[in-house]
Amino acid sequence: MFEAPFMVRAFAELALLALICGPVSVFVFARRLSFVADALTHTVFPGVVIGFAAAGAEGIFGGALVAGVLTAVALTLLTRAGLLSDDAATAVVLTAMFSVGVALVSRRSSYTSDLTTFLFGRILTVTPRQLAETAVLAVVILALVAVGARAWIFRAFDPTGSAAAGFRTTWLDLWLNLVVALVVVAAVRAVGTVLVIALLVVPAAAARTVTDRLPAMAALGTVLTLLAGYAGLWVSWTASIDYGVRLTSATAVVLILVLAYAVLLPVGRLRAKTVGRAKTVGQAR
Amino acid sequence: MADTDTALRYASAALGYRGRAVLTDVDFALRGGRTLALVGPNGAGKSTLIKSVLGLAEVVGGAVTVLGRPVAQARGLAAYVPQVDSLDADFPVSAADVVLMGRYRRIGWWRPTGRADRQAALAALDRVGLADRARVRFGLLSGGQRQRVLVARAIAAESRLLLLDEPLNGVDATSQAAILRALGELTAAGAALLISTHDLGLAARIADQVCLLNGRQWAAGTPAEVLTGELLRRAYGGHAVDLPDGRTVLVEP
Repeated sequence: MFEAPFMVRAFAELALLALICGPVSVFVFARRLSFVADALTHTVFPGVVIGFAAAGAEGIFGGALVAGVLTAVALTLLTRAGLLSDDAATAVVLTAMFSVGVALVSRRSSYTSDLTTFLFGRILTVTPRQLAETAVLAVVILALVAVGARAWIFRAFDPTGSAAAGFRTTWLDLWLNLVVALVVVAAVRAVGTVLVIALLVVPAAAARTVTDRLPAMAALGTVLTLLAGYAGLWVSWTASIDYGVRLTSATAVVLILVLAYAVLLPVGRLRAKTVGRAKTVGQAR
Repeated sequence: MADTDTALRYASAALGYRGRAVLTDVDFALRGGRTLALVGPNGAGKSTLIKSVLGLAEVVGGAVTVLGRPVAQARGLAAYVPQVDSLDADFPVSAADVVLMGRYRRIGWWRPTGRADRQAALAALDRVGLADRARVRFGLLSGGQRQRVLVARAIAAESRLLLLDEPLNGVDATSQAAILRALGELTAAGAALLISTHDLGLAARIADQVCLLNGRQWAAGTPAEVLTGELLRRAYGGHAVDLPDGRTVLVEP
């Protein structure tokens, strides 16, 4: 499969996404930000459409970046001011921005084709320039995660305790929302605005079934995403080349990632039962 | 000159949210090495007072100083011990991870966690009798053990002012003894403790000062001065009942 250069670029893109989605998904999990992450994946949609209309495929990155950052700021301010509950603010921003995106894309003559690209991505057409942009973004994201990780975990575990220790909750929330937005921006061209949520939620959720340690969750989430990336590309390649079945690569990657979660679930349940017995013994001491 | 021996000072303070006071006439000083118990019914303003130290509730009127500084300049100086039930027991962190959180402010943003920090965390766990449970997931400990871990986190922070929210609520006898022993060591070393509690017996037993609240400060002084039938009846309304032997008990409304 890797004799085709576009498959190498596709796998390299997925490997970069695995590197950032493994750690970031841990914080999405710890802060229970799955809905916020879902909202961010939808709210970059109008930015993607505007960027594409203005500068073609190369404009998607900039459009998504602007929309993602604006949404991250808006969500943080709305919840900070107590104007709306977290869920309500997220839902309002999500539906408003997604509606704008649909209205914009429906004005284009190639409506169906464009919409499919925006929603489900085009991993096989990743260019070297796009790969370089994702690499730069990955470095920025990992640096932001490395600095914020401790404070985010403290804030997720005990918001009042972290405030007592001097950490400013609003800044930490904005910081994490921006990082999630950057991940969405990095992934949106490859897997689209709909499927990117899987990369932000499933790695940590799957890893959590087999480990209690946050660093291990991040590492395992990265490995799972990497394996799903390779397997997904292989499945879609084999399906189309050997069997003539059209299967979108990004969809195959996400399906295999979700399958990994489904396989790990019973392992996690078995583990929970074992741990439950250990807890009874430990608390008696 | 700043009064460095006074950990906490409220001078005719009014506390609240969005500019509206919910607790008024707060006036007391807590010195290093002393314990002050906040008592009062639910909604009396005990949590608001603790939040005001952390900068999470506003000082609407009067003045508040924390370790000699205005509240706005005292961020991160006090250590906070929450009620264990307010935390997610499924959160994937070990007991040692939780205690290390008390060191985060000292460690800073960039520096990795060093050996000295890990040793300080283990020493703090040892002070509450849980050194052998360091690697156990926080949620797998009993409620009392989890509360001890949170006290250890405050110890690891090495703060001169500790704020404790109902630290013995629902805690078993073994953990109560461990927590009270650790708190005694802290005050002996010069730390000031501000403890919110519904347990008047505990307040009488461990506090040097008691502050009686219900929308305003009804009284502040020694336990003998504050925990009287008359004052309790005034603050708690009809829920304070005198017993024939001269003691006063609180009953459910």
